[in-house]
Amino acid sequence: MNMRGLWPLTLANIKSFYRDRASLFWTIAFPVLFVVLFGSIFGSNSPSTFNIGWVDQDGTPAATSLRDGFATVPLLALKNETQDQALADMRNGKLDAVIVVPQGLGAALTGGASAAGNGPFQLIVYTDPSRQTASSTVQQVVQQVIGGINQQLSGTPPALAMATRPLQSVDLSNAAYFVPSILAMALMQLGIFASIPLVGQREKLILKRLNATPLSRATLVLSNVFTRLIIALAQTVIIVAIGALMFGVTIVGSIAVTAGLVVLGAMTFLAIGYVIASYARTEDTANALTSIVQFPLMFLSGIFFPIEFMPDWLRPVAAFMPLTYLGDALRQTMVGGAAYAPIGIDVLVLGGWLIASFLISARFFRWQ
Amino acid sequence: MAPVSDAAVISVNDLRKSYGSVHAVDGISFEVRRGEVFGLLGPNGAGKTTTIEILEGLNKPDGGSASVLGMDPTHEGNRLKELIGVQLQTAALYPNLTVTELIGLFGRFYRHARPTSELLNEFALDEREVALSKELSGGQRQRLSVALALVNDPEMIFLDEPTTGLDPQARRSLWEQIRTFAAQGRTTLLTTHYMEEAEQLCDRVAIMDHGHILEMGTVNELVARHFKERTVRFISHADLTDERLATIRGVSKVAHEDEETVLYTTEVPATIGALLELGEQLQLTGLDLAVRRPTLEDVFLSLTGRALRD
Repeated sequence: MNMRGLWPLTLANIKSFYRDRASLFWTIAFPVLFVVLFGSIFGSNSPSTFNIGWVDQDGTPAATSLRDGFATVPLLALKNETQDQALADMRNGKLDAVIVVPQGLGAALTGGASAAGNGPFQLIVYTDPSRQTASSTVQQVVQQVIGGINQQLSGTPPALAMATRPLQSVDLSNAAYFVPSILAMALMQLGIFASIPLVGQREKLILKRLNATPLSRATLVLSNVFTRLIIALAQTVIIVAIGALMFGVTIVGSIAVTAGLVVLGAMTFLAIGYVIASYARTEDTANALTSIVQFPLMFLSGIFFPIEFMPDWLRPVAAFMPLTYLGDALRQTMVGGAAYAPIGIDVLVLGGWLIASFLISARFFRWQ
Repeated sequence: MAPVSDAAVISVNDLRKSYGSVHAVDGISFEVRRGEVFGLLGPNGAGKTTTIEILEGLNKPDGGSASVLGMDPTHEGNRLKELIGVQLQTAALYPNLTVTELIGLFGRFYRHARPTSELLNEFALDEREVALSKELSGGQRQRLSVALALVNDPEMIFLDEPTTGLDPQARRSLWEQIRTFAAQGRTTLLTTHYMEEAEQLCDRVAIMDHGHILEMGTVNELVARHFKERTVRFISHADLTDERLATIRGVSKVAHEDEETVLYTTEVPATIGALLELGEQLQLTGLDLAVRRPTLEDVFLSLTGRALRD
């Protein structure tokens, strides 16, 4: 196939994109603004206190005095809970970490267990690894408290140690939730907003003019796809960088899988953008249709709050939205977020939307 | 005069195209020879643009045949598009690219492209080379649009109303560029609804209306075919009634155009003499007499009963 003109046209598209203030705002500035805003409001950089679930399975006076030791640390607010309750609260974002005192602490500290040579007695600490500040602060505090106790007991080997367990929380007040979510939103906007210049180019007869040159239509479409993918990768880098630098949200999962999901998401929403462009005759209609599609996607896809928080009657709507699955897959991959659906399902649903949208636009898209 | 040869570079035979019940092009046939500047002349909706777009490979005909540079534009469009230059009625330009970028970009679509600097120079766009196309004036956009049609050094160009919206000076300079192009033995097919453009620029014209070609030939041929008369024009005056004027010797028809009365006459001196005499009798001044050969406008009027610009 004749692919002449592919890169010059892609370059021209990218130039047109960054010279257009509106598209630059919606695809770059708008999501960045959201990350910064929500991150600052809900995912404060240095919270004054951390809410800790205290699970005492030992019940001896030793455990009570250990609790008193932790209670003196001003950074921590302790709350007594059962283990199941505590872990559930942490998943829902009510707690920042959970400390479990297993049965046998009293015996261990009075010499029985360590004398038996079982090694130090372990406190179990659940933290959310995607929330670096909370996670490392709590672990440091626990280490210090344990160190103090070990010193007091002056026993060798040390009597107490800490075992950490990762637990993903779906905390609203969590920048880790927003960064992948808003990346998903940005990819959605990038894709469906592609319909506006496309319809504009048809309306201004630019597509017709291109058709009067030897440039093939396949090259034209491919160039639009490449343009959007390149911008999508730029969006991803910017949003992830802001998440990491401002809120300490780093990609804990595979970067390759993340990149793959970014590409799949961008392609899916670009195909939906082409569907919009198939039905909109004028740039104004495309603008209106884009808003009509954008806002339900934005608010009913678990971007700003988890789908569990939605009323029951709205959940089937969320289950229909492609953005639900892109956000879910990105959260799972980037920050180890709680799954709405297995990643395989996320990918399948997105792929389904991609293929269906592609077929619809292949059938109905008009070049003139 | 342009070196016109006998070889037909465009030949159109019984071409048809309908949109619903509207016959946009209704069985037209014509040939354009190498080196010719050929004009399709007619009012809006006559079928000029549909015809030109079929020849450019942008539109499919319903019936008949067309051949451009020996190729069928419908089925050999890709090969043909390498060799032709196209300017659409609307200057279809990416708004956020500069003049230089647009010329460079379009050049990359072709196997061979002319240097950007050469085109910038030729179309007096060098001072605006870094301007975005949306910042250009109407005339500059139009010049850029024609420059883009020439970017692949084409053997023939299609220009759809190339001078619409241009001021007279810009129009004349574009005519000069088309004449230069034709002088190199290359072919131009243009549409226009400006009579003057057709008279000044076109070797031959075809007058179109409602999808048909009404007349075809050189401007002189068409005028001679329709009018033996000349026209005598003057500022209309209430005392010079049509009835009175119609009795003047040689006058075959009295017509009105804007503020002027137009007499069609086969005997110019006798008509003018009688008119001056009448003027003296009625003590009229400032008649502003003028004698003209009928124009294409008159040909069109007599063919369709309508003025072309309507």
